[in-house]
Amino acid sequence: MQEILAHIIPPIAIFLFIASFTLFAVYAERKIAGFVQDRLGPMETGKHGSLQTIADILKLLQKEFITPTVADKILFALAPIVIFIAVYIGFSVIPWAPGFAPANTNTGLFFIMAVISIDALGILMAGWGSNNKYSLLGSIRAIAQMLSYEIPIGLSLIAVVMLSQTLNLNDIAFNQGILATENIKFLGIWNVNEIGGVLAWHIFQAPHLLFVYVIFFIATLAECNRAPFDIPEAESELIGGFHTEYGGIRFAFVFLAEYAMMFLVSMLGVVLFLGAWNTPLPNIGSLQLATWTTGLYWGIFWTIFKSTLIVGVQMWIRWTLPRFRADQLMNLCWKILIPAAFVGMAISGLWRILVMV
Amino acid sequence: MDLFLFYTFAFLAITSALLVVSLKNTARALFLFFIVLFAMAGLYLFALADFVAITQVLVYVGGVLILMIFAFMLSNKELLSDLQDLSGSFIQLPNWQSLALSLGFLGLMGYGIWQWDQAYSPSWMEQNIRTGQIILSRDNNINQLGMLFMSRYILPFEIISIFLMMTLIGAAHIARKGDEA
Repeated sequence: MQEILAHIIPPIAIFLFIASFTLFAVYAERKIAGFVQDRLGPMETGKHGSLQTIADILKLLQKEFITPTVADKILFALAPIVIFIAVYIGFSVIPWAPGFAPANTNTGLFFIMAVISIDALGILMAGWGSNNKYSLLGSIRAIAQMLSYEIPIGLSLIAVVMLSQTLNLNDIAFNQGILATENIKFLGIWNVNEIGGVLAWHIFQAPHLLFVYVIFFIATLAECNRAPFDIPEAESELIGGFHTEYGGIRFAFVFLAEYAMMFLVSMLGVVLFLGAWNTPLPNIGSLQLATWTTGLYWGIFWTIFKSTLIVGVQMWIRWTLPRFRADQLMNLCWKILIPAAFVGMAISGLWRILVMV
Repeated sequence: MDLFLFYTFAFLAITSALLVVSLKNTARALFLFFIVLFAMAGLYLFALADFVAITQVLVYVGGVLILMIFAFMLSNKELLSDLQDLSGSFIQLPNWQSLALSLGFLGLMGYGIWQWDQAYSPSWMEQNIRTGQIILSRDNNINQLGMLFMSRYILPFEIISIFLMMTLIGAAHIARKGDEA
């Protein structure tokens, strides 16, 4: 019984978290958009518009299922589920706090990469199943973009894995703070096993990872189809891209998947580069800030806090920068990000051999 | 529980594989192929080959299958209708030939099962079981994979790298504009 419960409770908890996060994130997105564009954003429903997204989701849930007559009905109905499940499974291996992860596998990082690539298949299903030119074009653009940007993501992940020597996300998280099992050094010279805090994060253990993280961040923006890389759903050219024909709860799932993906990649970036659930506060002499702020609840708090911050940056960028043209997008990926990621990987190799001996 | 999952994956793989070859709608068949590959990845897990399982999903689902669907979408309609018209298309073998092929494979597999003696295992296997050199489901076998790739299997590994390099150069060559070449 206990074993079955252990297999049932975490998925439900994660789903509830994703749903409530999406409600919050959509509200935040509108408020940030309002702030960037010098207006107020939603104000009418509830205090400062705080009930706006709940009203929206209630409206979506009541809507009728509309399937276009010439659509491939099975593919059309399955696509939102595949898109959502692909992202949802990704959450299963990410650690939230010390020793607190839904699944502790030795291949966690590799697993996430594989699972995210299923997302592309779901988008293709949606585009093809809708039997609509805009949807198909949108999905083809999305696939081209996602497949291309998976390469810089993969290379930047390799740069981290070369230093951490493991694909287990739990171990990667442990070795960035005071609970580390290996010797960790700030900038490769100063042992910070006791001090912890921000100094023990990967980006400060090996400073070139900061530059790799920027590559990772840009590539994940494209992977989520967020502006400035949102040509798959460019409203002015393609109506709504691959989800043009979707309405009601199916559209809600596509939307949920997009926000879940944003949170997933932010969390992945946090785990790999920004110290996972480790506290940013270091131990200073008798002021044991790091020791006081490490633990199960603190871990969950730091994970959510850091990831939400990164999601906030994603939104800020979305409402600040204009959209890339398709050829600029590919140029950026193949001519700038991939060579830069290769350089980062090479530095990682040298760092491992020369500095971390 | 494990047994139940094993049979679920096996059932999924077999039924969707049968559907892939029998469906007339090529697009649906291609998407069903995804289920076949995914179920196969699940079966690899039971052989304690988690790395292979994930690679299967990453390479086949993320790469090969998407390419197949692209090829399907970009090919013209006449060719597709030829393919979908099952009677007398150019790609189909005559019935008796395909029957002979499938019976041959069935016979081969049946022979394999008939030959397999459950009680007997080779001496090196028994020796390893005695000395405890076996992989458990909790073991991290990625490190061992890396070691073996870089030592015992370095030649196949390098040959694959060169092969991939060749395909990259070939793709770049094909994608170039004609008059510049």
